[in-house]
Parts: sequence; C-alpha cells; structure tokens
Amino acid sequence: MSASYIWAAILGMALVTYVLRVLPITVLSRVRIPRPIERWLSFVPVSVMAALVATEVVRPDGRWLAPLSNPYLLAALPTAAVYHKTRSLLGATVVGILCFLALRALVG
Amino acid sequence: MSPQPHDDATRAPRRERFLRGVRLGLPIFLGYVPIGMAFGMLARTAGFTLTQAVACSALVLAGAGQFVALSLMRTGADITAILIATGVINLRYVLFGAAVSPYLRETGLPIQASLAFSLTDETFAVNISDQREGWADEVSMAGVGAVSWVGWVGGTLAGAALGALVGDPNAWGASFAMPAMFTALLVAQATDHRYVLIGVVAAVLALALSLVLPGTWCLIGGAVAAATIGAAMFR
Repeated sequence: MSASYIWAAILGMALVTYVLRVLPITVLSRVRIPRPIERWLSFVPVSVMAALVATEVVRPDGRWLAPLSNPYLLAALPTAAVYHKTRSLLGATVVGILCFLALRALVG
Repeated sequence: MSPQPHDDATRAPRRERFLRGVRLGLPIFLGYVPIGMAFGMLARTAGFTLTQAVACSALVLAGAGQFVALSLMRTGADITAILIATGVINLRYVLFGAAVSPYLRETGLPIQASLAFSLTDETFAVNISDQREGWADEVSMAGVGAVSWVGWVGGTLAGAALGALVGDPNAWGASFAMPAMFTALLVAQATDHRYVLIGVVAAVLALALSLVLPGTWCLIGGAVAAATIGAAMFR
C-alpha cells in the first residue's frame, strides 16, 4: 500500500463521513426528509452489516469454505448470541475471537 | 436546577454542563479504547504508519466505516470503491443527524457544524436519550463528543504503538476481530422482524452478487438493493 493511496483514502473518508454528518444537522433543522427516503435510510444500516457479515464469514478472503469446516461462519453464531444476550460490543468481540481460535484449531 | 433547555439564565454554568456531558460519555470512552486499539493494530498490519492510523481515527471517527475501509484496502480496492462503501455504511449518520436536528434549531451554524463531527452511533444514543429527558444542550453534547473522540483516538494510538510488541496478530485471532464486531453490530441493527428479514435478503443478495462482481461492489449492490426492497415492502 503506497502512502499516497492511504492518505487519499483517509482524507476522502473524512470528507464523505463529515458531509453525511453535517448536512442533516445544518439543513434538516430547517426542512423535513420525505417519508420514502426516510424509510429507505432506516433499512440501510442492517443491509450493510448483513451484506458485510455474510461475505466476510461465508467466503473469508474471497474463498468459499464448506460451512462445517469454516471457523469464521461457526464462530459468528456464538458472537451473535453473546451480543444478543449482553448488548456488549466488546464482550461479544472477545468471545467471538476465543471461539474462532478454538474452532480454527478443531476444524480449520 | 430543573431542566430548562432553552433558558440560559436558569441553566448551570457552561463548565458544569460540559463536564456532565463528559460523565455521560465515559461508558463510550471505555468502549472505544479497546476497539480503537484493535483498529490501530490492524491498520499497522495492513501497512499504515502510526501517523496514518491516528490521523484516520482522528479525522474520520467512524468505527464500522474505518474497519470496512481497512478490509477493502487490504484487497487493493480502488479509492472510489472505498469512498462509496464508506458513504453507504455511514449513511445512517444522515438519520441520526435528522433525529438530533430538531434539538439544535436555536444553535448557531458553527456550533452545529462542530457538533456534527462527533456524531456516532454511541454519542447519538446517549444524546438522544438525554434530550428526551430535557437535559442535553450543545455544551453537554460537546462534552459527550470530546470524551468519545479522546477514547477512540487514544485507543488507536495505543494499538498502533504497542501492536508491534504483540507479534503476529493472526496467531491470536485478529482475522476474526472485524467479522466478530460486524456480527455484533448486525445483531444490534436487527431490532424487529422487518429488519431481520431485510438483513437476510441483503446477505443472500451480496453472496449471489459475489459470484459475478468483485468484493466491494457485491457488498454495495446487495445492501442498496435490500434497503430498496425494505422501503418498498414495509410502508
């Protein structure tokens, strides 16, 4: 990775993210978002996260793995369960990594 | 002191309101430090310098967005794809901003613009519940934002600086750190059956598209299509 590639990504991301944050606060404190757009926006976070998790755990590093010998997919299940029970991002991540290490030793 | 959001004369001094925000933001700080550390370590292993890792956290301040960008950069994705992915992932900030904006009607533009910088999932959650109780104002929100930023950037600095001491991050399961965090964030988003269903649709679409499109685009395509289906199905 070249330095210019990394800096371009950092500055571009900073700009994109800031625009998304500042426009609604400064503009929408004056107007209202149309209902259909608001509805579409409400489905964006779950769609992004699901698409991301699916591609990362079903085909890690771009390779399809058989479900029962895929430690990524198997470890995602206890991770989800722990988050569902505890609502702790840190706790779920730590448990997930420990399960992943155990499963990788067993099936990976 | 009673909650009087728009009457300056009856409110506590600015310093006290700021410190109240800092106290409200402390749990966020405690959550951000370790995840910031994870970002710092992973950024270093991906090829970032310490300065680049810290600058990224300081300027972007978006957990999921930064981790996604990092995993895309490792695959050598082009800048346009990275920025589109960041934009799609961070689109939720538009919703948060829209929800906070009514409380900031009387706030001047420069202060609105600086508060916007610290808008994240966690600061939003803390501020919006504080606002519903009638306490939050721009000074306490600045306190919440400041302590969160310090946690995220400080964690990144620690992770990027100490990461080298830990050795090969893969040996302790670093390759599952991001998938684990995304899995938890996914569960956090799946609040009722509509969101669960659309999540399943997005996952299936993204995987199907991955057969024909390169990494980033199957993700963006699957997510945008699923959100559109959700908006059309649930009126």
